[in-house]
Amino acid sequence: MTVGEMLKLMRDPLGAPFYPPALQVLLVVTWVLHIFFVTTALGTSALSIFAFTAKKGAGLWLQAGRLAARLTPNALGLGIVTGIAPLLFVQTIYDPLWYAANTLTGFWSALFIFVVMGGYSLAYVFYLKGSRDGRLLFTAILSLILLFLAGWVMHVLHAVSIRPEQWKQWYMPSGVIDTRGVTFHAYNIPRLVFLLPLQAVLSLAVVMMFASWYLRKRGDDTSFLHWLAALGRTMALVVSPLYGLTGLAWAVTEGPEFGATTLIAVPLVAIGIALTIYFLRLKQPAIRAPLSLGVWLLAVFGVAIVREAVRVASLARYGYTLADYPYHFDWGSILVFGVTTIVGVMVVLYLILVLYQANASQEGTVSLRVERLGKVATGMLGAWFGFFVLMGLYSTFVLR
Amino acid sequence: MYPFWEGLGIHSTLYLAVVSAFHVLVSHLTVAAAWFNLYLERRAVKERREELYAYLKRSALGLLVFAYVFGALAGVGIWQTTTSANPRGISTLIHNFVLFWGSEWYMFLIDVIGIIAYYYTFDRVSRQTHLRLAWILALGGTGTLSIIVGILSFKLTPGLWLETGNSLNGFFNPTFWPQVFLRFAFMFAITAAWSVFVAAGLPKGYFDRERIIRKASAFGLVGLIVGVLVWLVWYEPALPLRAKAILPSPAIPQPTFPMIYFGLLATFIGLLFALIAPGRQRQFMALGALAIMFLAIFGAERTREVLRKPDIIFGYMSSNQLLFNDLPARGIVSEERALAQTGMLGHLPFVPAPDAIASTSGDMTFGIGDPEVSMGRALAIQQCGSCHSVSDQTALTIAGVRLDLRSQAFLLKRRNLVTADQIDTYLKAIGGFPYMHPFVGSDAERRALARYLEAFLHHTYPETAELAKMQSQAR
Ligand code: HEC
Ligand code: HEM
Repeated sequence: MTVGEMLKLMRDPLGAPFYPPALQVLLVVTWVLHIFFVTTALGTSALSIFAFTAKKGAGLWLQAGRLAARLTPNALGLGIVTGIAPLLFVQTIYDPLWYAANTLTGFWSALFIFVVMGGYSLAYVFYLKGSRDGRLLFTAILSLILLFLAGWVMHVLHAVSIRPEQWKQWYMPSGVIDTRGVTFHAYNIPRLVFLLPLQAVLSLAVVMMFASWYLRKRGDDTSFLHWLAALGRTMALVVSPLYGLTGLAWAVTEGPEFGATTLIAVPLVAIGIALTIYFLRLKQPAIRAPLSLGVWLLAVFGVAIVREAVRVASLARYGYTLADYPYHFDWGSILVFGVTTIVGVMVVLYLILVLYQANASQEGTVSLRVERLGKVATGMLGAWFGFFVLMGLYSTFVLR
Repeated sequence: MYPFWEGLGIHSTLYLAVVSAFHVLVSHLTVAAAWFNLYLERRAVKERREELYAYLKRSALGLLVFAYVFGALAGVGIWQTTTSANPRGISTLIHNFVLFWGSEWYMFLIDVIGIIAYYYTFDRVSRQTHLRLAWILALGGTGTLSIIVGILSFKLTPGLWLETGNSLNGFFNPTFWPQVFLRFAFMFAITAAWSVFVAAGLPKGYFDRERIIRKASAFGLVGLIVGVLVWLVWYEPALPLRAKAILPSPAIPQPTFPMIYFGLLATFIGLLFALIAPGRQRQFMALGALAIMFLAIFGAERTREVLRKPDIIFGYMSSNQLLFNDLPARGIVSEERALAQTGMLGHLPFVPAPDAIASTSGDMTFGIGDPEVSMGRALAIQQCGSCHSVSDQTALTIAGVRLDLRSQAFLLKRRNLVTADQIDTYLKAIGGFPYMHPFVGSDAERRALARYLEAFLHHTYPETAELAKMQSQAR
């Protein structure tokens, strides 16, 4: 059995319920949000630790440390929620890869969630009990370590998944099956450094500028906010060139294996240079923060495409492509998903606007327009249940 | 089809069991708490009862941290653990229902952003706006629950899907409706304990404390009674006959039913006590109640999962992750039929051919350097490993006590099957048990499996080796 045949055999016989390349797009797009939020969590966590250790929690650093500690659990919460979406899509279209990686690394895959839970709850402990004055600092440190470990596991899972030629050998080294799933079979350090610590600094930098922009509107301490934005810009400026260089290192270490050296190198170096130029020319980091956020998300989107291209290149070596992944249009679930998307987007939009407006001013008011949106969105959410029950009755009594 | 992860220390499915029981407790609590909070907040707005907000704030922070953090994460955890323990089972669900799951994801997003908005805007937005957030939380949570039930219940009762192959038929299956109502009712009992916990922590003089406790326990009692009724008159009758045959079998390990009955009874009494004497409630009592419910839920959810043995998807895929039936509507043919012809070894990507298996005398084969035993190991992993411990790796030894919860060696010993011959004969008839499938493979493969199991047994219980020797001498 060749590797290509094996991959084809491993696909689920049910096929995908929708056009696979569309699901691939969803995979890439939702992953951008995922990695943005988890790197923000790592970055803010590191900042709060730095503020309370190296800077002894004094002056402006105290404020920064508190703010960062408050952001960590919320960013992480969003990182997890947005991680679920790519998790759905990756196993729909890349099931052979995802399932092989998760069984070969079974122990860590199962332990992963306890690691994340530990990191998450410790981040909360530090925010609620320690961030006022930097007590319980060990909770913050342990939390950061656990979150990083979680990222490492994610990275190993992905690295294992794109190397199908080695699965058998990892499963049965010298002919003896290993069902423990404890070994970290594959990794690439430059890639990990690129995706986690460096992106964590960049996400953090952008979030600092953004916080400065947002809090300024409600009239918080301007000298602090000015300092915060300037610091963010400096960090971004220092790290951007490193980011490009590390991208190059990723390309030359992982690229040759998949014949993808230029494919990785050119876009990543270009992104590094573009970011450097952007932050160099950025003179009013607080005022321009929304734009910077957009620029950074666009850069991450570029990275996400490169990541996907590496996977595609790896599989192409065995003549395996998504283009011939079996699928059929499963109209029932497409309809349910479509309707829920409309309702979901409306409600989530309303919730975000409420959060945004309520905290954007000292007294906190929600505009009439948003209120009207809320009425409609809540009504739609209620009506969704009517739709759901109708679908159910139809499927139970009519559809055979 | 995939590599097999047996687990480490404990069997992979036990990881899953623990994570899922926890998740069920917390997620149901969350949904019902959203409704209870909505109820209180409506009264607070209508009757201008400012004091109630003290309870709501406390409850919201607790939910934000505890329920949404741990509950939601445990949900992801179930996913990760099933993925490692039984990837093809989850694969079937994903490929049928990914867009339902995607829909659930929106509901979940609403829950998570909703609770953040709810908690952080208590005194910042108008009462009406905040009440709307409460509505959104209650509806969003119920949406999440309704969708996941369709996916879960499919595993036991795929219903018409087995003929039409249409995901809608699989989703709205014969146990979907009763299970939605069952869960919706029972979750109020869990939430009652939660509310008692939160309210009992409020300052003594807080005058609404007892009213909230009384309300909550009334909600809980009604939920409990309705839940039991739904189970008796609707859910249980909807179960397939074969599942009913599993209920009294040893597939459901002993203390399960007493645990569930005890849990129900204890919850009933506890809630009654809270209703009658709300002033006497303490936080530790509520915690105790939650712990008891955890055990009961553990038992109940395990039972629900075991009911479909020996299948992972009833009537479609066996626990060892092979399709054993055709699904003509989707052009799918049984995999087991072909494998029964060709034999197993070498015919699936991660079940090696005999010549790829090393016959070293390592620990994995208990020091026996015999190719047949090594082959048997590969088969034990593939055919028995998803339900039984087939090696020492999943037998945790704590302070000299061997905790082999699912050990195959133990079962063989209990059956008094001590030689490869006896085991081989037994394997021929193994499909006769309601909870096990027949062995799939050639005669030589079955023989190899028997050899491995014999070695495992003799290694685990040396006295059985003596017994086997005596028996062969006697003959
Ligand atoms: C679908 C899950 C499943 C699979 C796969 C499975 N078993 Fe079982 N087996 C069970 C359950 C459940 C029991 C009942 C446990 C008990 O009796 O405590 C059981 C019991 C047994 C018993 C004791 C039965 C008795 O006589 O009391 C033996 C022996 C056994 N299994 C051997 C095997 C072998 C060998 C294989 C692999 C060919 C296998 N099982 C595969 C679920 C499974
Ligand atoms: C602290 C927690 C987490 C961190 C630091 C983290 C980090 C990462 C990183 C670095 C990658 C890219 C790996 C690579 O390309 O080498 C990744 C991918 C991914 N993560 Fe996370 N992650 C975290 C939590 C989660 C959670 C909780 C989920 C699921 C709910 C999740 C789902 C995913 C998915 C689906 C991918 C894509 C895998 C692929 O494309 O093959 N992550 N994550």
